Amino acid sequence: MLYDFKYSLKVLLRNKGLLFWTFVFPIVLGTFFNMAFSNIENSERFNAFDIAIVNDENFNLTYKNIFDSLSDVNNEDRLFNVNYVSLEEAKNLLKENKVAGYLVFNDNIDIYVNKSGANETVLRFVVDEINSKKSIYESLSDESLDIDRIVSESEVKLKDISRSNLSYTMIEYYTLIAMAILYGSTISMFITNKKMPNMDSVGKRISVSPTRKSSSLLGSLFASYVVQLLGVAILFIYTIFVLNVDYGNNFFLVIVLSLVGVLAGLSLGVMIATLFKANEGNKMGILIAITMLFCFLSGMMGITMKYVIDKNIPILNIINPANMITDGFYSLYYYDTLDRYYFNLISLLVFSIIALLISFFSIRRQKYDSI
Amino acid sequence: MENIIEVKNLTKKYKNLKAVDDLSFEVKKGEILGLLGPNGSGKSTTINCLLSLLNYQNGSIKIFGEEMTPTSYEIKKQIGVIFQEIAVFEELTVYENIDYFCGLYISDKSLRKSYVMDAIKLVGIEDFINFYPKQLSGGLKRRLNIACGIAHKPKLIFLDEPTVAVDPQSRNNILDGIKKLRNDGATILYTTHYMEEVELICDRIIILDKGRIIASGTSDELKKLANIEEKITVEVTNMSSSILENIKKFKTVDSVTYDRNVLSIIYRKGKNNLEELMDYLKENKVSYNKIFSERPTLNDVFLELTGKGLRDAI
Repeated sequence: MLYDFKYSLKVLLRNKGLLFWTFVFPIVLGTFFNMAFSNIENSERFNAFDIAIVNDENFNLTYKNIFDSLSDVNNEDRLFNVNYVSLEEAKNLLKENKVAGYLVFNDNIDIYVNKSGANETVLRFVVDEINSKKSIYESLSDESLDIDRIVSESEVKLKDISRSNLSYTMIEYYTLIAMAILYGSTISMFITNKKMPNMDSVGKRISVSPTRKSSSLLGSLFASYVVQLLGVAILFIYTIFVLNVDYGNNFFLVIVLSLVGVLAGLSLGVMIATLFKANEGNKMGILIAITMLFCFLSGMMGITMKYVIDKNIPILNIINPANMITDGFYSLYYYDTLDRYYFNLISLLVFSIIALLISFFSIRRQKYDSI
Repeated sequence: MENIIEVKNLTKKYKNLKAVDDLSFEVKKGEILGLLGPNGSGKSTTINCLLSLLNYQNGSIKIFGEEMTPTSYEIKKQIGVIFQEIAVFEELTVYENIDYFCGLYISDKSLRKSYVMDAIKLVGIEDFINFYPKQLSGGLKRRLNIACGIAHKPKLIFLDEPTVAVDPQSRNNILDGIKKLRNDGATILYTTHYMEEVELICDRIIILDKGRIIASGTSDELKKLANIEEKITVEVTNMSSSILENIKKFKTVDSVTYDRNVLSIIYRKGKNNLEELMDYLKENKVSYNKIFSERPTLNDVFLELTGKGLRDAI
């Protein structure tokens, strides 16, 4: 077995085609992702916008404190650039589209906007928040409470529901990693074909030798595993140090998921190599098609697909190894518990075991009708 | 003499086509048995059945006295196979390829090293051990293919058309190597459609056509089946039709053809046929440029038995 491992390692590391798909292609794809998505990320970053506030006798210190806080230039999360103006000036600013809206303070806060959009929605949210807090305190309080003071001390802000290091672009990187991991299937298919007398003349030579096919295959699969891990490791290094992708604080768990994912990818390749009766080119076509389909369904070409499948045909994503990998990564960042991560990890292991069992059962057929 | 291979009533079908039809033969210890036949006659299929690579419908196969199955690992240890296709890793060097395939049989590293070097010397590729297969010529690749199959010094060797598409130098090298292997004690089953090769190296020959044995024996025994003693070819400058007719009337002549100044005469039997013909041509003042005499070939045998030549038998 070790003997097969040694020579399989040499064969794999000298095969330029496999090296390209294992080491180069994911890096090229990752670079394209980076070029494409970094602009999207920048364009979707929230910027403070201009509003006007009618500075009359109703606009008291309490409200001023709130809006000073929300427009503090030293605050990175500030929402507004506030212009304190008269009613006429506020109307003009809105008319000239120099502000998203203006506010008039009465018993409640009245909001005036020209259109509906993201900025207007944020403004409305803030105003609603202040109004509702004020009314709640008024209904609960007795006369001794200083409602204005309580409201001014209440924190009014938009809650960032995402983690600081997570963006939806990360999901594309997860699928990239998943794809790179699943591409290990091409390596295992290549090496499995070499053991099959009906696929390769080398396979005939191995089959007539006293070495057991399963033992020889196991050694070669181990070599495939090492080569594929190397490919994934290089991809991680490239994305972290060159593309500045932040995989967060759970990097150990990311590695564990990758280790199991590579096993699943290799198992997929062996299973297709042993199950399908086709020549090498056709088998490779089938494998690439299946891998790409898995990645597509898990959200590589648009995250919407992942949600569509999750909502309508959840079983498809449960048996999809690409989704198990991306979802495993995703759950590390999105959920506070690791339940979903472990579910994906175990699913990958189960997938690998089933695929390998099917493969070894298939390859046990040692005589052929034609070769 | 001990039988190394015993095949009885072997039949292999591909759907409705009988690729091997009720084949029975033995290969004796230390001999080179040639399976001769045109492409598609069932030679490779027979070998693949013997090696338990292919299912077959009927018959029994014994090697070293034991039934051959896919799990006959003890038998497999003593077998070497050179397939028709070149079976090497393109990513490994000449040395690494031979070492890898030898390692499937020999685990001792130092012993393997000496075996690998022996195989390299046997096929004469010492100057190319660090080359990759794609850097080798067709003939050298064939030699590498052979080295990979025999490096572990097997007692029984299957050679399936090992000289297809090789240059004369490599062919001679390969044939010399095969004879040396036999001289070193190996038993060899050799398939080819080159009749010259089997005549040169085989002790016994089985001629196959459409999966059946149509003749077997030594080269001399087979040639007797052709019912031809001698073939004389003369390149004449001129000849009348009356002379041609007179030649046809010679007692030992079987047939005469004359085409584009080339006169071909086939004799069933007789001695001194060449001398008699030359005297006759001289008497009748027929001048000629070349004249030569041939013994019948295995192609003539095949022609006699099937009505077609070995090269165009499909």
